[in-house]
Amino acid sequence: MSIRKLLAIWIFFVSIVVSIIGFHSLAVQSDIGYWIMAGSLILISLSCHASGIYSYLTKKDGKNLMMVLYGSVILTIASMSFYIPDVLDLRPWEIYARIPDQFFFALIMLLVGIFTSYLSFRPYHNYSKEGAQSGALYVLHVTILLTLLPLFIIIFNIIFRGAGGITYEFLTEDIVSMGEQGGVYPAILGTLAMIALTAIIVLPLGVGTAIYLAEYARKGLAVRLIRTAVNILQGTPSIVHGLFGYAFFVLIVFNGQKCLLAGALTLAILTLPIVTRSAEEALNAVPGDLRDASLALGATKWQTIRKVVVPPSLPGILTGTVLGLGRAAGETAPIMFTAVYFSGAGTPNSLLRPIQALPYHLLSLYRLVGYRDVENQAWATALLLLIIVLGINISAIIVREKYRQRF
Amino acid sequence: MIKKILGILKDDGECVYKELPNGMKMRIEDFDLWYGKTQALKSVNMNIKKNKVTAIIGPSGCGKSTLIRSLNRMNDTIPSVRTEGQIWLDGYDIYDDTADCVDIRRKIGMVFQKPNPFPFSIADNIYYGCQVNGMKVDKDEVVKRCLKQAAILDEISDRLGDNALSLSGGQQQRLCIARALAIEPDVLLMDEPCSALDPIATAKIEDLIHELKKDYTVVIVTHNMQQAARVSDYTAYMYLGELIEFGKTKQIFENPKEESTEKYITGRFG
Repeated sequence: MSIRKLLAIWIFFVSIVVSIIGFHSLAVQSDIGYWIMAGSLILISLSCHASGIYSYLTKKDGKNLMMVLYGSVILTIASMSFYIPDVLDLRPWEIYARIPDQFFFALIMLLVGIFTSYLSFRPYHNYSKEGAQSGALYVLHVTILLTLLPLFIIIFNIIFRGAGGITYEFLTEDIVSMGEQGGVYPAILGTLAMIALTAIIVLPLGVGTAIYLAEYARKGLAVRLIRTAVNILQGTPSIVHGLFGYAFFVLIVFNGQKCLLAGALTLAILTLPIVTRSAEEALNAVPGDLRDASLALGATKWQTIRKVVVPPSLPGILTGTVLGLGRAAGETAPIMFTAVYFSGAGTPNSLLRPIQALPYHLLSLYRLVGYRDVENQAWATALLLLIIVLGINISAIIVREKYRQRF
Repeated sequence: MIKKILGILKDDGECVYKELPNGMKMRIEDFDLWYGKTQALKSVNMNIKKNKVTAIIGPSGCGKSTLIRSLNRMNDTIPSVRTEGQIWLDGYDIYDDTADCVDIRRKIGMVFQKPNPFPFSIADNIYYGCQVNGMKVDKDEVVKRCLKQAAILDEISDRLGDNALSLSGGQQQRLCIARALAIEPDVLLMDEPCSALDPIATAKIEDLIHELKKDYTVVIVTHNMQQAARVSDYTAYMYLGELIEFGKTKQIFENPKEESTEKYITGRFG
């Protein structure tokens, strides 16, 4: 018996098994999201097996079926977003992760479907070289889709659950009765003020360090030490930054008073390596020719840096800074000991007063779930935070694309 | 800067002055240069005459570019470089402790192998040199004068506000020459200025070099021997970091004294 026949039989066998499992799961489950997922999985396996059998029998290509194949993978991934564990089912203080069994089952079926469809590529292309080639390409595509899966899940979930909670009241009022009512207006302002202040602190420090490293420093021990230090700073867990900020800024510098400035300084330390590295990369991207040209015209090194090197690298520096700030905006650990109160701080009006901030607000609400009716508020806060952070990142990308210098 | 301060503290601030023979602009004296441990220039001696074009030829890697970059201390930007010997400009040693690189480069302009205009407007490119040197000049006038000298004004007179990167390669290179002229240097160094250009742009730049000779002393490095023969008054032939032969272009090309020069010129090696 030829390998080709064996393969066709194997594909047929798998398609039957997968289909039976799929129908079984449809029969025992009643959840609509699960139906969509199981249905699309069955669609995947059936379509790829059908295409395999079709090409085996007719020795022709069945190209149209490919669209069905990719489409069903995407559909499956989208429908999986209904299947993240319902965090708000958890009771506080007895945390256990309760992921529904269907989730694992669906995941396994998805992988089986991907694998069997991969197998069908060779008969699909009539056992030519092209078959192996497009099979490999298909696997790469699927890896990309699987990489994007968590992002899809998070965004779908937060939008579906949080969109309802965002009301005019939510955006414009302070917390009322432990977050059950009212809104997050002071927290929005607090987060924005903190990011702005962090930017003011971190830009001169980061850009200064980057200019030194990229332009002045000669390769040697000192530079290696500085770079290593910057990398270590980047790898430090954010909670450690938070504890340092509490121990140094709050306790020593500000006499035990949590305040906006202490939080911004802590976040600045957290963001500094990101800003430094991206600025250094942007400066290094400016061609050495331009530096030579400027020096040959009798410019000093500093004039060269100020007028020739920094202007074209500004978009890169700003993008890096804004991405760093986007990270800082979502951090809870560095600010929870240094700057924020859950309630009572009000809108930020002084550098030396505590503030409210969205990430800490979310954490606090989560802790109250089970005691108080704050679920909708928590989801809405999460959505708002997501919008702010994504907005910051998207604006960084727009700035970069618009002002990028090409040499 | 620190060198300068130390130099002033060391003696009474006077630099060594040495009268150069009449008509001589620069003099290279026993000049050695090392990149780390590799010696790139070996005891080079050479005279550069005022208002003449001096060409430096030789096979790749022979140190032509290194030598021309030494003439305005551009090699100082490379950390591992070490030099010995003197290069005199109008009687002052530019490698003296009291010499200031910035002043030297202000007096000795340079045009590079690859056109490297700044990503500014054409006018700003020209004016940049005046700006960084604090020269009090009328911008429009300088821009017009330099572009005219570089024989490019007619082509781009209505585009002075455009980004310099929008010009063609040949135009960019002439813009770079115009830019170097803006700071009114005494000497103009050209490091293979035509190697990235097509024959028409090359011809334009060669014509330009003939014109520039009236006002400037020109030193040009070139790979192209016909070019050296066409544009230069004096020619230096280098090989493996040594100056093999130096003399009038006519003599070098028609009656070389060294065998190696003859071989190179007739194309038998290099």
